[in-house]
Amino acid sequence: MIADLTPEQLKARYEPKPAKVAAIQRQLHAAQFTPPGTRLIGGGYDSLVRLWDITAEEPVEVATSDSHQGWVQGLALHPTEQLAYTADSFGRLQCLGYADDKLELKWQMDDAHDGWIRSLAINKDASTLVSVGRDKTVRNWNPADGTLRSTRSVEGADLYQCAFHPDGKRFASGDAHGSVKLWSVDQLAALGECDASELFSVVRLQDVGGVHTLLFSLDGKQLYVGGTRPKNGGNVQGEPLLLVFDLETKQLVETIELGPASDVYVQHIQEHVDGFLIAATSGNPNQGKLHLLRRGDKEPFSTTTNLSNCHHISIHSSGDRLAITTTSPGSNGNGRPLKDGNYVGNHSRVQLLAFPQPEADSE
Amino acid sequence: MLCTPHEHQLSRRRLLGYGAAGTLGLGGLGGLVQPSFAKQLKKDQKQVLFIWIDGGMSQLESWDPKPSSQFGGPFRTIPTSIPGIHVSELMPKTSQLMHMLAVDRGVHTQDNSHSAGVPRINRGDPKDRGVIYPYFGSAVAKLIGPGDSGLPPYVWVKPGSGGFKFTDAGFLGPQYGALAIGEGQAPPNLLRHPSVTVAHDDVRNGLRELADERFARNRLALARDAQKFVFDTARTLMRRRELFDDPDPKDVARYGDTPLGRDMLIGRKMLEAGVTFVKVNSYGWDTHGDNFNGHASLMPRFDQAFSAVMKDLDERSMLDNVLVIAMSEFGRTPRINGHVGRDHWPEAWSIAMAGRGIKRGIVIGKTNDLGTFVDSEEHDIGHFFHTWFHALGINAGETEYDNNGQPLPIAHDDCGPITELLA
Repeated sequence: MIADLTPEQLKARYEPKPAKVAAIQRQLHAAQFTPPGTRLIGGGYDSLVRLWDITAEEPVEVATSDSHQGWVQGLALHPTEQLAYTADSFGRLQCLGYADDKLELKWQMDDAHDGWIRSLAINKDASTLVSVGRDKTVRNWNPADGTLRSTRSVEGADLYQCAFHPDGKRFASGDAHGSVKLWSVDQLAALGECDASELFSVVRLQDVGGVHTLLFSLDGKQLYVGGTRPKNGGNVQGEPLLLVFDLETKQLVETIELGPASDVYVQHIQEHVDGFLIAATSGNPNQGKLHLLRRGDKEPFSTTTNLSNCHHISIHSSGDRLAITTTSPGSNGNGRPLKDGNYVGNHSRVQLLAFPQPEADSE
Repeated sequence: MLCTPHEHQLSRRRLLGYGAAGTLGLGGLGGLVQPSFAKQLKKDQKQVLFIWIDGGMSQLESWDPKPSSQFGGPFRTIPTSIPGIHVSELMPKTSQLMHMLAVDRGVHTQDNSHSAGVPRINRGDPKDRGVIYPYFGSAVAKLIGPGDSGLPPYVWVKPGSGGFKFTDAGFLGPQYGALAIGEGQAPPNLLRHPSVTVAHDDVRNGLRELADERFARNRLALARDAQKFVFDTARTLMRRRELFDDPDPKDVARYGDTPLGRDMLIGRKMLEAGVTFVKVNSYGWDTHGDNFNGHASLMPRFDQAFSAVMKDLDERSMLDNVLVIAMSEFGRTPRINGHVGRDHWPEAWSIAMAGRGIKRGIVIGKTNDLGTFVDSEEHDIGHFFHTWFHALGINAGETEYDNNGQPLPIAHDDCGPITELLA
């Protein structure tokens, strides 16, 4: 049990070490291990869905799908079958099969939302797929064929995130103003709200902050909400915050600050089955960290600082590896950076990290 | 003669009465008609509404979208009232007014920093002749003058502090500076204190004039004139207290209950009152971080305020006289950084304009498919100064400033007007 370990012991056992890197010449939003764990699948700012074989010494991109437009930001994987659900910023939702190292379109829904679909989530028995977007709607889909079952409009701001409860019957949505709503899958009935407005501020003309990540704890008792405590607009700055809510009371029970204002956002959070949280932060270019935090602790027992901007975390089904989607260092600058006379865009790296082997935990 | 607060309240009620009549009789002019307004409409007073979007609006999230390209961002495009022309989906209201506008997508300027770029753009980037050139507002104040409203020729409506901002005037001298109205508030102590009678006030002003004369004896004419100008301006504003009345809630709803919406509404009132040059500022557009979420809230608020003022100026037939310009100090990089932001980009961006002397319903200039560089003739700020002066009836090729005997061109010598933009 990690509850009995000292921070030093936790660090020795879990601080991840670099393993492999998948480098992409475009910017990725997220990359996720497929359930068998031999492939990565990701989507990004170039409208493509990409599939990598990660069994070789170096990850190899084996397939791409160009059936999206805009940014591919919604990504959810079927828990058992080789199916990926992807959604883009032009409102298209689709299902792609990824068997045999091919990306094959299974179904596609144009105008699934009016514009930017920000997040997708699927429950563990794969009976329901939910989506949220800039059109301020929550939608319930049949993952088998893309049939829309129900839609609920939400008062307030653009919806940024959604996540399923482990029971598969409830889920949460989070918006640009820090409002978190709980829903039942049946009829999309509202179950309550959690106030995460600390993650939001209006600065001059700009809405700043919002819910950047949502996660139910594996035991289903708590809800983690990540974002920033905004200090300003424009070049957004603010301390990365993780808010912990008790699901029964809907009350905030803990606020965890994960770095200085230059680190800005908790962009993504995941929970490891051994009982610790993994949080990715990303703020000023080249300011991103990966924090490992035992549940109930105030301070991370491990912070990895050399990953540049971290946007997404995926935990391998074995629990012994991570895939962190990052933007390359040196990604910013005013004016024209030309290379060989060409204007160069940014690129991403999916950093594959491995936890130390158990035998290292001999003490 | 000064009005008292009581009289002032009466005038507001009268104004509402006119509003009701206007609604019945004048259709689109709504509740904003003032008795003097009809006369104002008939005048050929050249005016400018200069909307300064400080920090740098992204051209890719506004006037020149490149959907589904490497740097295009997440937003879709929407058609506009000009067939074949699309803008970002973040501008739904403005898209329907494109037939009123002229947009140049081929803007290429020189500075990628705020500190150098803001003054350089505002001064028209003239050749260095060892003098500090005036900002466009001060230049127009000098070249066109205050008109007959008695109001200062250059009013700057802005968030933050107000006061008299003389630095914009450069070598023209402080009287061509901007009267800044901060946070939409009237300058403090605008009304005569109730304890001071009119007679007492006259006595005090007589004493002040004696002091002014003494002050002026050993001062340069510039300083003396500026002193007089500021005081005269204050006195004029005291007579126009209604300009700072609370806005009609319906107007607030149309313009947006935001700093920009409120300031744009004040800007329109200043134009209606006869101010020659009105600058309306919006701050907070320097989206190095979180550019797309930022523009998702910034742009609709700009869209609402900008489209509302355009509609109002059009409905009042003011676009025949008022030159409208909306711009920043530069655009934003096509490249998206690790903070999901865009940095500064003077290489290829867009400026929108409308109104007096400007062709309606036209988009000129072109960027390449990635939006990285201008793929047509590049237009620098010097070209725009020539164009805007021309639109205002001033030939920048022939008109010069006289800086104590030193002749100075009013716009960059090597540039000329962009003829495609001119009506």
